[in-house]
Amino acid sequence: MYTCGIDVGSVSTEAVILDEKNNKILSYAISLTGSSSKNAARSAYEDTLGKAGLNAGDIKAIVATGYGRINIPFADKNITEISCHARGAVSVFPELKTVIDIGGQDSKVIKLENGNPIDFLMNDKCAAGTGRFLEVMARAMEIDLEQFAPIFIKTSGKVDITSTCTVFAESEIVSLIGQGTDKNEIIKGLIYSIAGRITSMVERIGLEEPVCMTGGVAKNLGVVKALEEKLGVKISIPDEPQITGALGAAYLAQGLL
Amino acid sequence: MGIKDRLKTGIQKNLNQKYIKRLLGIIAKKPILYTYGSTFSSVSDKYLNIFTIESLRKAYSDNYRPVGYGSLFLPYEMIHALGITPFLPEVMAGFTAGLGLAAQTIKQASLNWYSQDLCTFHRSASGAQELEVFPKPDFILTTNLACDAAQKSFYIYSKKYDIEKNFYLIDVPYRYSQESLFYLTAQIKNIYMDISSKSGRKPDISKLSEAIELSNEFREWAIKVNRLRETLTDYPPYFNALNYILPFHGLAGTREAVTLYKYMYIELKKYLAKQLNKNHDKKNLPKKILWLHLKPYYRSEVFDILNKENCIVAFEEINYVYWPRLDPSKPFESLAIKMLSHFLGGKIDNRVNMILKLAGEYNIDGVILFAHWGCRQSNGGARIIKDSLNKLGIPTLVLDGDCVDRNNSSQGQVKTRMQGFLEILNSKT
Repeated sequence: MYTCGIDVGSVSTEAVILDEKNNKILSYAISLTGSSSKNAARSAYEDTLGKAGLNAGDIKAIVATGYGRINIPFADKNITEISCHARGAVSVFPELKTVIDIGGQDSKVIKLENGNPIDFLMNDKCAAGTGRFLEVMARAMEIDLEQFAPIFIKTSGKVDITSTCTVFAESEIVSLIGQGTDKNEIIKGLIYSIAGRITSMVERIGLEEPVCMTGGVAKNLGVVKALEEKLGVKISIPDEPQITGALGAAYLAQGLL
Repeated sequence: MGIKDRLKTGIQKNLNQKYIKRLLGIIAKKPILYTYGSTFSSVSDKYLNIFTIESLRKAYSDNYRPVGYGSLFLPYEMIHALGITPFLPEVMAGFTAGLGLAAQTIKQASLNWYSQDLCTFHRSASGAQELEVFPKPDFILTTNLACDAAQKSFYIYSKKYDIEKNFYLIDVPYRYSQESLFYLTAQIKNIYMDISSKSGRKPDISKLSEAIELSNEFREWAIKVNRLRETLTDYPPYFNALNYILPFHGLAGTREAVTLYKYMYIELKKYLAKQLNKNHDKKNLPKKILWLHLKPYYRSEVFDILNKENCIVAFEEINYVYWPRLDPSKPFESLAIKMLSHFLGGKIDNRVNMILKLAGEYNIDGVILFAHWGCRQSNGGARIIKDSLNKLGIPTLVLDGDCVDRNNSSQGQVKTRMQGFLEILNSKT
């Protein structure tokens, strides 16, 4: 029997099909959410069905998660990204105690005990400390976001970015560039700024190892390295961190069978 | 567009005293107060609405003078005994949220330079005050117990109406001692005498003793309701004890408060009997939540999520009977004891101990502290409350939000936090 998890985030939508027999991922799909979360979910679902060579009738249960989870009419249940990211991360690293998830519009830290979430913290209502923050800054600097990690690794100096607000930070960067500040040092400062916000969330909830990072931003090794440095721990990353929420949703869908 | 929506749109476009008066007239006849959160679905709810409307009607009428503005936590027994019609701007701020008016009142407050950092109960009330939709006060009473914003914003009201000489602040000492009891008793007595003299009324201590007798009667019924609630595993539809602010505050010392809680007891007892006759699936009993502080007074999905996740609010700290039986023969001292006994006064330990006690009495599975924007007295203790409950293995959610201004928090984020927390509770065996 197969289950499907669909994670409708603010930036991207992921779908995962899981084989209940051996807990193997049969297929997954990642697409941009765009303006309609319903369409994005349908498109990711059909895409992943196609990749797995299955029909909708083969899927016995669907769980939707993410900020757009409410608007998915073909899902059997919606479960928050807190439970889904925790479940997905534990399926990859069973001994986990802390999950750091940085997505497009929110970031969260989940504390686990025996594989179950027992507490969590989410960023407040602004975009600081999220993937969106990095995207806006990359655009302001006219540098591809994928270049951030190699720049972070090769650059030794950094500039402190003092603004928390994404809009103000963008202005701060524009003026720093205007003053002739090295762009690489600005990028390093930006990454430390995001890592600083996440570190304070982790410290608030209480750091316990092992630690894993999920969500699209986990693909940015610069952020991962900055976090490891600030927290003083090794952070594990799943092979495809962006699908962790959808994977967890697919696991939780097994509970509906 | 339904009648309720048409009415709301109409009010929003015509926010002035004349319109508010008309609205109150309509409210008195039609059960539209469910926008505020309460309904006419039960006898006690019906009484809550009727008494609320009646007290508003009096405050807006010229026949029930003098009118006294009062903040929460005051000894309303004294205010009723003095023949003052109380009007509670903070409660009215809850109404502005329920009726969809808060955006306008808050905007008005902003135009008048009230800081965005000020709690929205006081900002909305101050905006309404600036729009002159509240009745004109003859007296203004407030206290420094718990809330720090009321003593400032209420004083501004007294200046606006040029009645600074009729502004009274009851200064409740931090510590409960014989000395502080003496100090507070003297203050309450002086205020009582001063207002009696200014109103041209001879002090009538027997009326104050009567109000205290009624306060005791209310206390007995409230304790009975609270004991009964320990055994309930679910509640009648639409029952939400977070709506019952007035009986503990503006209606304290009145027959109305007694009636309300008496009916609530009868209703809940009947409901319990029905519940006992049902064969409940014991494995699927709802998880019990202890709710701290207040709730959003606008339409919010918070309570729908509770139902959906099979959780109930088993008890609320605002309904805790924190004071001892009062002695009607020593009315001023009794009221001072009541104020000094409040768990929000003094050290945070007072509140923490009360919460831990309630968590035990109501077999609480999880605690939600609704962290209302700008409410320092409540939010300041969030960390120690969460730590103390976590030590007992009781998960606690500090849910950041706003009771009055729905635009001050992302509804999606509130929903996700709430649902995520309830999922954690339900995953615990």
